[in-house]
Amino acid sequence: MSLKLTRTLRMAVLALCLPLLAGLLSGCTGDSGKETIRFTFSKREAIGFMTKLVADYNASQDETEVVLDTSGVDVVSASFVRGNPPDIALANYNMETARFVQRGALSDLSGTQASTRIRKDLQPLMDQYGSYPDRTSALPYSIMASSVIYNKEIFAAHGIEVPKTWSELLAACDALKAAGVAPFYGTWKDDWTVAQGWFDYSVGGQVDTLDFFEKLAEAGTGVGPDSPASFQKDFEQPVGKMLKLAGTYVNKDAASRGYGDGNLAFAQGKAAMYLQGPWAFSEIAKTAPDLQLGTFPLPMTENPEDLRVRVNVDLAAWIPEGSKHKDAARDFLEFLYQPENIEAYNKSQLGFTPTVDADAALDPRIEGMVEYYEKGHVYQGPSVLVPRTIPIMNYTQALVLGADPAATFRTLDADWARLAFRQ
Amino acid sequence: MSTTTTTRRGQGRPQSRSKRRVEPVFYFFLLPSLVLFTLAITVPGLVGIFFSFTDSIGIGDWKFAGLTNYIAIFSDPAILQSYLFTFGFSLITVLVVNIIAFLLAVGLTSQIRMKTALRTIFVIPMVVSGIIIAYVFNFLFSNSLPSAGAGSGISWLETSLLANPDLAWVAIVVVTAWQAVPGALLIYIAGLVSIPGDVYEAAEIDGASKFQQLLKITAPLVAGYVVINIILGFKGFLNAYDIIVGLTNGGPGTSTRSIAMTVIAGFNGGDYAYQMANATIFFIVAVLISLLQLSLTRGRNTL
Repeated sequence: MSLKLTRTLRMAVLALCLPLLAGLLSGCTGDSGKETIRFTFSKREAIGFMTKLVADYNASQDETEVVLDTSGVDVVSASFVRGNPPDIALANYNMETARFVQRGALSDLSGTQASTRIRKDLQPLMDQYGSYPDRTSALPYSIMASSVIYNKEIFAAHGIEVPKTWSELLAACDALKAAGVAPFYGTWKDDWTVAQGWFDYSVGGQVDTLDFFEKLAEAGTGVGPDSPASFQKDFEQPVGKMLKLAGTYVNKDAASRGYGDGNLAFAQGKAAMYLQGPWAFSEIAKTAPDLQLGTFPLPMTENPEDLRVRVNVDLAAWIPEGSKHKDAARDFLEFLYQPENIEAYNKSQLGFTPTVDADAALDPRIEGMVEYYEKGHVYQGPSVLVPRTIPIMNYTQALVLGADPAATFRTLDADWARLAFRQ
Repeated sequence: MSTTTTTRRGQGRPQSRSKRRVEPVFYFFLLPSLVLFTLAITVPGLVGIFFSFTDSIGIGDWKFAGLTNYIAIFSDPAILQSYLFTFGFSLITVLVVNIIAFLLAVGLTSQIRMKTALRTIFVIPMVVSGIIIAYVFNFLFSNSLPSAGAGSGISWLETSLLANPDLAWVAIVVVTAWQAVPGALLIYIAGLVSIPGDVYEAAEIDGASKFQQLLKITAPLVAGYVVINIILGFKGFLNAYDIIVGLTNGGPGTSTRSIAMTVIAGFNGGDYAYQMANATIFFIVAVLISLLQLSLTRGRNTL
């Protein structure tokens, strides 16, 4: 009996250990001795392009096998927490990535060839999110400028010019509405569309966001009705204008429509203007490849000199400190920044290439923004400058759905002060 | 019922004392789940509680922050609201689920046609994943219902229920109940089937109507199952996550953010320590509820 038992035990232990052992072994190396690096890419619209570029790179040499990971940004931050970050990433540069930067989780890229070719005047865009001492933690890869997308055919059919001032905008909206055309297409079911379009364009068109957020950071725990800058003091009036547009000039079913619905409806000509970034062009083109579209900054004041476009570092490249394949990742980084690759990418996505030797992108659809971009009449949207732990997108969605602006901004001020208190 | 338990225990005790040595293989059977539980639940839990006293964002440098996170939580309206929402939602859903499941179970155990086929149909929602259900219903609420409303001229139907900050929770209750009813239904059917037929016969002879039988016989005899269903359901609904993500993603505004969603948001949004403090509080609340549940149900449902 006892002998039988020990034998059973031994068999069971063996059975338990075998899969463990197999797991350990398979973790070591892939086949044929290639070094595998995991490449996270956060841009859904360009997965096709990047898949091809990665395949080209894998075919061009036989030391590194790049695996494209498109599972998204949330997964990436969780992978940092688990201590298993990707080896290299091209991801949206925002407050969230900034946290990795500030806490030193990203490695220094100042020694790379690519870093020497980045335009120096773009550095403020990166620094606005903070930095880590003596490190170039991330390199911009694609700059996106966004503003109002408008349907040129509808504007021409009703004899409407591109508005340059707030009252011209209202006049254009009234004319469109009188003609039975929805002036704007709202997709409020997806809260981010409210935040990046409606909220950012209207606040960015009136408030100096760079200055505002600097003051806000200084005030810290003191943010409130008496601080030099606060959401309730500085945002209520601009948002009032946003609510005027959102309350009067949108499609009737805006509250139930999402981003996908919006792209389809706008492609079908169901509205004249659409507050989206250039990423929407490729989606609209799927339905209406020949639709004549243009862009212009949303005029929020009576002075045409105030016109500005929203920019963001849509993609930045970074290599985590925790990667075990940094050298291979840096090789791949240089490949990504080769002029033909980075320029082809930005051309395909209607972005601006941040390298010194690149030509300005001239697609007719984003032509309306080039002038402002080159003059430096740009701002980063307030919604991306608020730390992600504050549900700013939910708040902006609540605003267009009828929440009280004063109460919402008091909450936002309190959230900001609380965050400053604990971090 | 309680008397039988004590006698059984009384008999068992001397026996176990005489034969003290337990087969070691039983411990061995325990080992895998013990190891897995420790590694996957206890250790991460303790690590999380530890970090709730720091300012960590989950990565990189961090330092101790004492009770700062806990102080901040108690003044955070977003977190308070998530607790209110989650508890309110759980209470209402548990009521809706149990009433529907109980009535369905009564129907499906009585003498009706196509009983087996109907039971199968009613159980189907249980085997579909929550997130899929949520996306399908999301489409129904945002597109099908509004266009039905527009077609039939019912104006309040034209705006999606999900876009109404005051009523979006109703949609979440409906979808959650749709998925949770089958589980409760199965337990109720098991309970109803276990009631002996002769008590109904006796009631019939005494002249009790069907409705009186339901109230006076069926309901008391399945009371134990009601308690089980309510507790299991409530516990499950407190962890509400996937269906809400698929339906409203916490919106409109912040009106439908559940506790689990705020915790996960901290994980993704670089607020690890703070939300770990939130999770610790939630854990304590859950422990309190389980203690309450144990004291309420001790000896009542020895299934």
